Amino acid sequence: MTELSDETTLHHRELWGSMEDVMVLSKTEAAAALADIQETTRRGATLRGYRIGGPILMLWSVIWMLGYLGMGLLPPHQWGWAWLVLDTVGAIGSIVLARPAEKAVQASGAKAGGATLKMIGGMAVAIVFVMSTFYVLKPADPAAYLAFPGLMVGTIYAAVGVFVARRYLAIGAVMFALTMIGFYAFPEVLAFWMASASVGLFVSGVWLARA
Amino acid sequence: MAKADDLIHQPLRLKIMAALYAERDRDPPEFSRLKAITQATDGNLGSHLTALEKAGYVEILKDHVGKRPRTRAAVSAAGAKAFREHVAYLRELVEGID
Repeated sequence: MTELSDETTLHHRELWGSMEDVMVLSKTEAAAALADIQETTRRGATLRGYRIGGPILMLWSVIWMLGYLGMGLLPPHQWGWAWLVLDTVGAIGSIVLARPAEKAVQASGAKAGGATLKMIGGMAVAIVFVMSTFYVLKPADPAAYLAFPGLMVGTIYAAVGVFVARRYLAIGAVMFALTMIGFYAFPEVLAFWMASASVGLFVSGVWLARA
Repeated sequence: MAKADDLIHQPLRLKIMAALYAERDRDPPEFSRLKAITQATDGNLGSHLTALEKAGYVEILKDHVGKRPRTRAAVSAAGAKAFREHVAYLRELVEGID
């Protein structure tokens, strides 16, 4: 809505000669004001979400780095266990980091919406999807095992960016691009390339936390 | 019928009140965050916050975090009530309730 001055948005009229000023708005002005309130509230919630998501993203950047370093240093049959342990640590850490925000929502009397359960559910879906895809497609190229989680994470963030909060679109695009660059340009050291790409996630977390 | 509040209805003051009302049960937002939410300039935000503070709708909280000065704003009980009434007025107007 355009920023209008008091004089143009507010009309005054005299009532029964009492000289009392009463603000009279049209239906259109009232609807525009309500839309402004809704947009401001939405923007505030998005910024609040960024500040909650920032530290969680920073935590996952460390998980990501350790996981890919593990893939670079450990034999392939130990990769699954390494990720299972790291994902568990990441999930618990995320719940702990999101807890104060959820408590604040509960304290306000608003419906919390089970954010913790949703987070656990989302992570479980992602892990099951990755494992099932590997099981069904059985990629022969080890680089595919390394690149696929990166592409999936990039896609999930981009989708969140398209539908919910724009900054995640940029983060998803960066992670997707870094994975593709590593896959085609540095296939021999892809695990270490992906580990170093965690810096991109960490910086993204700082960007969100400062919103 | 609910009452309109011409102090709140000014577009930027309406955004400030909407932002602060949404944050009323959390830590009061800092000036810079309020600026990002309302998309206002420093000068505009400062002057309208002052107007709302004078009306008793907003409380300005100044302190220090380490050596950094911090300015935060919070909606007062009177401000929350006035905002609720103004929103009710707007809704009634849109829905055509007399």
